[in-house]
Amino acid sequence: MKQQARQYKTQMVVVGSGLAGFAASIFARDRGITAAQIGNTGTIAYTTGYLDLLGSASGMVLDDPWKGLEVLRRDEPCHPLSRITDDNIRTSFHRFTKALSEMGVGYTEPGEHNLMALLPSGLIKPTLSVPETMRAGIEAYKADAKALIINFLGMQGFSATEFVTNLEPVWRNMIATTLSFPDMESGAQVYPEVMARALEVPAIREQLAVRIKAKLTDAECVGLPAILGIHKPDLVHRDMQKLIGVPVFEIPTLPPAVAGIRLREMFEQVLPANGLTLVPQQKAERLDLDDGGVTVYLEDSFGAVVIKAQAAILATGRFLSGGLTADHGIVRETLMDLSVSQPASRDDWHRQNYLDPRGHPVNRSGLEVDEHFRPLNDDGRPVDARLFAAGTVLAHQDWVRQRCGAGVAIASAYQAVDAACETLSTQA
Amino acid sequence: MENVRTPVIDFQAKARELLSDSASYDSCLACGLCASGCPASGFYGMDPRRFIRMAMLGMNEELSNTPWIWTCTQCKRCAYVCPMNIDVSVLVGYARSIWPKEKKPQGIVRSCEAQMRFASTSAMGVMPEDFVEIVEETADELRQDDERFKDIKAPMDKKGAYFFVNQNSREPAVEPEELAPLWKIFDYVGVDWTYASKGWAAENFCMFAGDDMAWKEMVKQRVDAINELGCKVWINTECGHSFYTMWKGIERFGLRVDFEAASLISYYAQWIREGKLPVNADWNTKGIKFTIQDPCQLVRKSIGDPVADDLRYVAKKLVGAENFIDMQPCRSANYCCGGGGGFLQAGMAKQRRAYGKRKFDQIATTEADYVLTPCHNCHTQITDIGEHFGGKYRVVHFWSLICLSLGILGKNERKYLGPDLAEIGLQESHG
Repeated sequence: MKQQARQYKTQMVVVGSGLAGFAASIFARDRGITAAQIGNTGTIAYTTGYLDLLGSASGMVLDDPWKGLEVLRRDEPCHPLSRITDDNIRTSFHRFTKALSEMGVGYTEPGEHNLMALLPSGLIKPTLSVPETMRAGIEAYKADAKALIINFLGMQGFSATEFVTNLEPVWRNMIATTLSFPDMESGAQVYPEVMARALEVPAIREQLAVRIKAKLTDAECVGLPAILGIHKPDLVHRDMQKLIGVPVFEIPTLPPAVAGIRLREMFEQVLPANGLTLVPQQKAERLDLDDGGVTVYLEDSFGAVVIKAQAAILATGRFLSGGLTADHGIVRETLMDLSVSQPASRDDWHRQNYLDPRGHPVNRSGLEVDEHFRPLNDDGRPVDARLFAAGTVLAHQDWVRQRCGAGVAIASAYQAVDAACETLSTQA
Repeated sequence: MENVRTPVIDFQAKARELLSDSASYDSCLACGLCASGCPASGFYGMDPRRFIRMAMLGMNEELSNTPWIWTCTQCKRCAYVCPMNIDVSVLVGYARSIWPKEKKPQGIVRSCEAQMRFASTSAMGVMPEDFVEIVEETADELRQDDERFKDIKAPMDKKGAYFFVNQNSREPAVEPEELAPLWKIFDYVGVDWTYASKGWAAENFCMFAGDDMAWKEMVKQRVDAINELGCKVWINTECGHSFYTMWKGIERFGLRVDFEAASLISYYAQWIREGKLPVNADWNTKGIKFTIQDPCQLVRKSIGDPVADDLRYVAKKLVGAENFIDMQPCRSANYCCGGGGGFLQAGMAKQRRAYGKRKFDQIATTEADYVLTPCHNCHTQITDIGEHFGGKYRVVHFWSLICLSLGILGKNERKYLGPDLAEIGLQESHG
């Protein structure tokens, strides 16, 4: 059948739709560069919502990530963050969090110190910026405020009792309770996403607030699993605080959690309205570099899509997102079969002890890049002047262990877009 | 009937055979994004994640017999949010196909059988000669009633016409006056179009019935009708699943066609951009608010966000950008309303309305007075859940508003409009 061919022409194409990919598209937009972005959900849907810069370096939990970066540059000069100046890291975080807030999900201003943020299991982790809906929990923890922690009948992925019990040694004034959510009282499984969407309806907020107030007694604040809306979380949050009469904070839940769904839906909606050509939920099948520029090919259920551009940013992530793949002997890059920095042999992938504080070498495999964040061949030369890489596909970082996933994603996307802009202006 | 056994199939093997190459089946993390985003989660103790896990565990007996497959609307939202591109709807489609006909929801089966009965392929049993007569009578009335349309034509079986236009059976069967707005739009733009006496019907319940042979037969009859007239473009009118069943059927069954498949929405947008449909929102002086329901079959399952953009472009031109409010989520991420997949015909009203509660909440949040949607199943379901849950909104076709804006909507073409729109533009009408 004859079908309308879908071809797009932009200055830049971003492959990947995780944090790095969306950050790259935002930075491109800020610079007036036209961009197309493709990639399926990615791990963004699994985030707590926290944006870590650097939580751990050389075995230390960091209160000051900027001092931590000094340690990192000394001990791990090849780490992606070691290759970006403090100024650029600061600028990238400020611009990114400002963009998120302007687009509809408020984030705290990144500061000089890490925030001690709450995790669903009742643990604390260092991070640089959190959604506004979660801010009051950090403050309540610091003040040892009397808090009512709520979970919901039928909801998995968050237990108020577990949260309170695990935090008890350091936060004594908490009480756990279970409520049923309006219209979801049967005891069957309920999902945070569904509750969050329901709370976009004012009448449901009012019903829930009545139930919470009945349990409030002398609590100074209320902690809820992250369910305060998807599309307008700040509005839902403010309204709930008003209705309940004390500060309310969200605690991240296990996936499928709303913090990531919020970001994803916001990106998918706001960025195209601002000029981004977004092909959501599809994987690039091929990327060609030739005299005509960069061409990315993919196919969705309705047929072929072709994107032509003058520069490309690979933000394809690691194993889970499909940017890297591994068989029994080797780690490969999936889209272009680029050279992957990795341990010399399979035997060297993992250390003997799973919880070895040094981490496992395979988790530091990835793409080698030059100072412009261009991937390198085996011989150490850039693959192509128009090809850049950003995010966790980069080598020499262990983002889970170092608590630096958002840091690597945002700062390297900034750096890669910066370099790509220079290439574009040279071409022009 | 209860004694008829459903054959048991190996779902794991089928999954490997049916799922696309890009799906990473072994990598399912059981994260639950699919179930979390599925309005059918919970019915009969099932959800998309359970379906996949049970397939992996070899629970074929249970999967072969669960009625849940008739509450899943095959909207593909689970696949849309899955990081591993796993599409549960293809397995649901296969499960539907193995149910004995006697056990399938009879409303869907009967609709498919009705389509098979006459060359019109109408699920409401409108025969070819009836369709020709209804169209001619309705056109006659229009020509007589309104001086401005004294020469209007509704061409039938016109060889070589550029556009072949399909038609949902609901209009000719129960509300023929609703046919006229679209004809007026074609007349206004000066389109070279035709209906056909054969293969004109839009709806295709054979796909939902899980009857591949019948689905193929329906698509083939329609393709033959278009080929016979030599039309360049097959335009799918304001009906959602008809578009998907047609292009997907052509691809799935390897049918040869020489025409292009297009959505009427894309053409509305094009004609407005080109100035051929000079619609505006001047009539909306009261600031009446509108939202859009994106039909899954047209947006997520077919053209994707480009047609969702066209829907919004047209809507904003029609009602004013300031009077348009998107429901959340929307576009490719939109929720199915619960009217798809044959759910409306399946006789499972309790589940269908529970499914639709999410849609109702979405609409309630927008506080819109009207829901615009180019899909008859969406139209019926959203009207029904509105009445059931006490909503105050109404549901309206695009063609009504386009004609309203152009001042050519007749008095008898306003059954879906509320009192607030009942008189607007009538002073210019001669009808």
